[in-house]
Amino acid sequence: MKTLLINTLLVISLFASAPLFAQDEPLRVGMSGQYFPFTFVEQDELKGFEVDVMNAVGKEMGRDIQYETANFSGLFGMLQSGRIDTVANQITITDERKKAYVFSDPYVYDGAQVVTKKGNTEVRGVEDLKGKTVAVNLGSNFEALLKDLPYADQITIKTYESNLERDTALGRVDAFVMDRVSASQIIKEKPLPLELAGHTFSQITNAYPFHDTEAGRALRDEVNKALTTLRDNGTLASISEKWFGTDITQP
Amino acid sequence: MDVLNVEYMLGLVPVLLRYLPLTLQLAGIGMVLALILACLFAVVRVLRIPVLNQLTIVFISFFRGTPLLVQLFLFYYGLPQLFSALTVIDGVTATVMGLTMHFSAYMAESIRAAIVGVDRSQTEAALSIGMTNGQLMRRIVLPQATRVALPTLMNYFIDMIKATSLAFTLGVTELMGATQKEAAGSFLYFEAFIVAAIMYWIVVELLSKLQNYLEIRLNKAYNR
Repeated sequence: MKTLLINTLLVISLFASAPLFAQDEPLRVGMSGQYFPFTFVEQDELKGFEVDVMNAVGKEMGRDIQYETANFSGLFGMLQSGRIDTVANQITITDERKKAYVFSDPYVYDGAQVVTKKGNTEVRGVEDLKGKTVAVNLGSNFEALLKDLPYADQITIKTYESNLERDTALGRVDAFVMDRVSASQIIKEKPLPLELAGHTFSQITNAYPFHDTEAGRALRDEVNKALTTLRDNGTLASISEKWFGTDITQP
Repeated sequence: MDVLNVEYMLGLVPVLLRYLPLTLQLAGIGMVLALILACLFAVVRVLRIPVLNQLTIVFISFFRGTPLLVQLFLFYYGLPQLFSALTVIDGVTATVMGLTMHFSAYMAESIRAAIVGVDRSQTEAALSIGMTNGQLMRRIVLPQATRVALPTLMNYFIDMIKATSLAFTLGVTELMGATQKEAAGSFLYFEAFIVAAIMYWIVVELLSKLQNYLEIRLNKAYNR
């Protein structure tokens, strides 16, 4: 009798927990933790715009988020080898990347921006980059943007894992190219003598990449649903206001 | 010159200390496994066991001849591409694997040299009083070889502790990874990295003390 009771309980608990287990599997999200103010660490706490948006998406989906941090250049390797489900690191949608991954709806609309050391009178915009050394993050879309310029062969591109803001402030490179909003934010909040040079020169739309598999596409659809809800109820806009003082989640 | 932000540095100490245990674990486990592997390799090489000897030579040649970072990338990013089941190798495992194989290749050679360096008369004396090969190794050759190999092995251990700083490229947040992320959040690079540097330095200094102590102990028999 006792055994029967225990067995019954066991069977019931198994059935009851099966769907729970599926839901409990956390969404594995990769980010660099080195892209202020999108993803960065302060006193051991991972934070930033990307973290807030992803947490909101996870809450909407009813799934926990498990963050994996690695250098930016390693993130796509981790996605490719199935160690993470997606990357939340301002991944710009490009044709090249579309061949390998499926993208969610865009959640950030931004532009590429040239940034120089304060007082640089030579570089006042993207057209002045001829003959100059320009820093970009390794594996980022900004490298591709520079290579697409008609005078690309006259630009020396230097790729960085991190730290390019400091190197530009030190004068080791003439400028760096990054998205406009985070560049503005760095200039405003951090003690580096930098300034924006000219206007943005290319529109970029950023989204989450997923594996181009059935499971990946299903996950993307789920994330899209969450993003739409968050956009409609104003959550995306308020997260953007919090970090940038402006809404970058609308085109 | 900007003034050093000492307050930030002090605040960083307890934060970074949380990641020191992982750094020490990576190196500690790596060292134990590397030692075992290196001893096996050394014995194979000294006794010239056919087939195994040739395989060991190729292994040592490869892992000594290629950069550790390349090996880590091969284990972590490369292998799962060929065999998707190997995705189970997480960053910590890949790092330990890399450290183990890389350093065992170096250590095998210094252990082999230490064994070969034990004077032949010692072996002859031991055999003449009827010791077996096992007794000869355990009681006569290895104790003397250990004394010779110890300083170089400690050197490799110290090197290995510092090599764990490559693990962040595989997504393992150890001391160096934590420092990089904190620095990227505050833009106070000097402050962050000098704190990390001092931590590595203190750990290595403590190990040097341990090495001195061990050397004195192993040298006792020679100080008459």
